[in-house]
Amino acid sequence: MKIQYRDKTLALSDISELNASNSGAMRDDARAALRTEITTIDVDLSQTRLVDSSGLGALIARNKTMSTRGGGVRIINPTPSVQQILELTRLHRVFEIVKTS
Amino acid sequence: MNVILQCPVEVSAVPALANQRPLVLVPFLGQTVLEHALAGLAAEGAKRVRIEGTEPVEEIRQVVGQGEAWGIKIVFSQDAPPAGEWSDARVVKLNALPQLPQQPLWGSYRDWYAAQLALLPVVAAQRVGMREVAPGVFVGHRTQVAGDATLIGPCWIGANVFIGPKATVGPGSIIEDGSYIDGGAEIVGSVVGPQTYVGAFTELRDSFAWGNRLLHLGTGSLTEVTDCFLLGPVQSESKLVDGLRSAVRFLGRQLPFKSSPPAPRPMPGTQSPS
Repeated sequence: MKIQYRDKTLALSDISELNASNSGAMRDDARAALRTEITTIDVDLSQTRLVDSSGLGALIARNKTMSTRGGGVRIINPTPSVQQILELTRLHRVFEIVKTS
Repeated sequence: MNVILQCPVEVSAVPALANQRPLVLVPFLGQTVLEHALAGLAAEGAKRVRIEGTEPVEEIRQVVGQGEAWGIKIVFSQDAPPAGEWSDARVVKLNALPQLPQQPLWGSYRDWYAAQLALLPVVAAQRVGMREVAPGVFVGHRTQVAGDATLIGPCWIGANVFIGPKATVGPGSIIEDGSYIDGGAEIVGSVVGPQTYVGAFTELRDSFAWGNRLLHLGTGSLTEVTDCFLLGPVQSESKLVDGLRSAVRFLGRQLPFKSSPPAPRPMPGTQSPS
């Protein structure tokens, strides 16, 4: 997973899977990278083939943290299968979904 | 009348429908596409139908048998080469159902879905045990619907289905036989395949869910849901019970005392021999 800073945004990308096997690591990495000025986390899921409930739980946890700072988690370019999971779980109404392409 | 029914094996526009079973056995209003096609041909006067172009034959044969259900005789092209009696047969391509010749079946996933909606009132009126509980809402035999669930027509709810509390089904939804829609779930413009569990508070729109597979009817995107509490096949209780019984029987055979008779117990008022 690649971590970048853009102004007040933490950008996470190069995520091939977001499931029980790596959601804990993703949560820890994001927490460690979370500077005090960060209000938004952009999670690029354009390379993501698989998301399960553990991965969604990690995203929800980060969203909860960011909402206390007045921001949130944005999902960037989810793949069609990830979009389907977000819609199945109604989380497309919780996260801001940004499609740039 | 003799009919040669030419079945498509795989259609490039709808590959996801054919990746588990032959395309003609895809669910369609409580049956399969092939069964509806045979019903339509029988209604048009067909007496013998030769099915061509689909495999595996045994799987097809298990579903349609020899045609007794429709009063016709079914022959498979793999069984014997066409004899002279088929030379004057009418050739029907299963690109559309005989009942709906103007409605293509396989042009896209939406075609397959639209054909079901178009045929829904006709099939519902003919199906034994199905009743219209509200305008356009057809519910099958032994189906349970929670009192506070919302059903909006047109929708088809097959037999042995459970619709949980505060769930919403419809409009334009088809729930196939034996499925379980958990409480708070919302299903709109979608098809839920047979024996499928749809988890609590989930939402299905413009989709076909069957087992743990979720297909978007618009984009054709297919995904496998790994969390069975969201979407998955209904677990058969009888299979579970059968499995437990088999395990107990197996363990019983392994234990030496199983075959030993129980020790005699003294009758009341008597003394045990010492």
